[in-house]
Amino acid sequence: MITLVTGGSKCGKSSYAEKVLNFFDGEKYYIATMSPVGSDAAEIISRHKKMREGKGYITVECQRDICNADVSENSGVLIECLGNLCANEMFVGSDIFKPADKIVSDIRALSERVSELIIVTNEVGCDGVEYSAETLLYISQLAEINRKIAEFSDNVIECVYGIPVPRKGAVIC
Amino acid sequence: MRFITGGAYQGKAETASKLFGIKADEIVSGADCDMEKVFSAACIRDYHRLVSRLMDTDTDPVEFTQRLCRENSRCVIIMDEIGCGIVPMEKRERVYRENVGRCGCIIAAESDTVVRVICGIAEFLKGEV
Repeated sequence: MITLVTGGSKCGKSSYAEKVLNFFDGEKYYIATMSPVGSDAAEIISRHKKMREGKGYITVECQRDICNADVSENSGVLIECLGNLCANEMFVGSDIFKPADKIVSDIRALSERVSELIIVTNEVGCDGVEYSAETLLYISQLAEINRKIAEFSDNVIECVYGIPVPRKGAVIC
Repeated sequence: MRFITGGAYQGKAETASKLFGIKADEIVSGADCDMEKVFSAACIRDYHRLVSRLMDTDTDPVEFTQRLCRENSRCVIIMDEIGCGIVPMEKRERVYRENVGRCGCIIAAESDTVVRVICGIAEFLKGEV
């Protein structure tokens, strides 16, 4: 089963995604995509690590080429999150101008070797700010990734202040 | 009237074509179209950009939108949802959001169908096809 979890920043989507993963009866992996750059990142990483303590997840850090993430066949996998993955592929030590197709095919490949895949993404296109061309390209690439992954996902859930709203399929928990 | 909203790049124009059979050449863009064109167009996209342009020419976007609802009541309007950010520091930007919000409420009230698109998925907030 593939579940895409979306929403604005700080909407409770990580907690919800973990709840879905906890339903999976088998080996559970957490793929962390954030580049540990800047003090904000360090804080968020440490908060998320604390959240995951004692949950029995195997943490795998993977900042790009997510199809190569070191996870077992038929396991349950949570990817956190596509916003970072897309930024990494575009801006961090790489020069992929439009990574959407690559990221979508990487995720599809990963989905074919695991049993349960939960993908956390981000809504970044609703604040009406006229950003630079580079930022607009990032917003459009992330939105394209979201649309294409939603197409082959079983469930698409939008979190609003921690409330899961089904956009496709069903709310699992 | 029919109204399609949602964040930027969610697939709103594609939704207009899928749900309402709008063809590419029937769509005018609020970003650059002739202001009078909107009163006869089958579909207006980027209506928020039109609001911004109206402000630049000292035209009241609310009055303009009310006129649009009277004179082109069959059109499909596509407008980005822009209110989910920090309240901007600049007054012009705050007024812009206010205008987009008020115009959106008028268009939604006048529409038989209101659709919100996220990740290419259309959700009916009001009415149906």
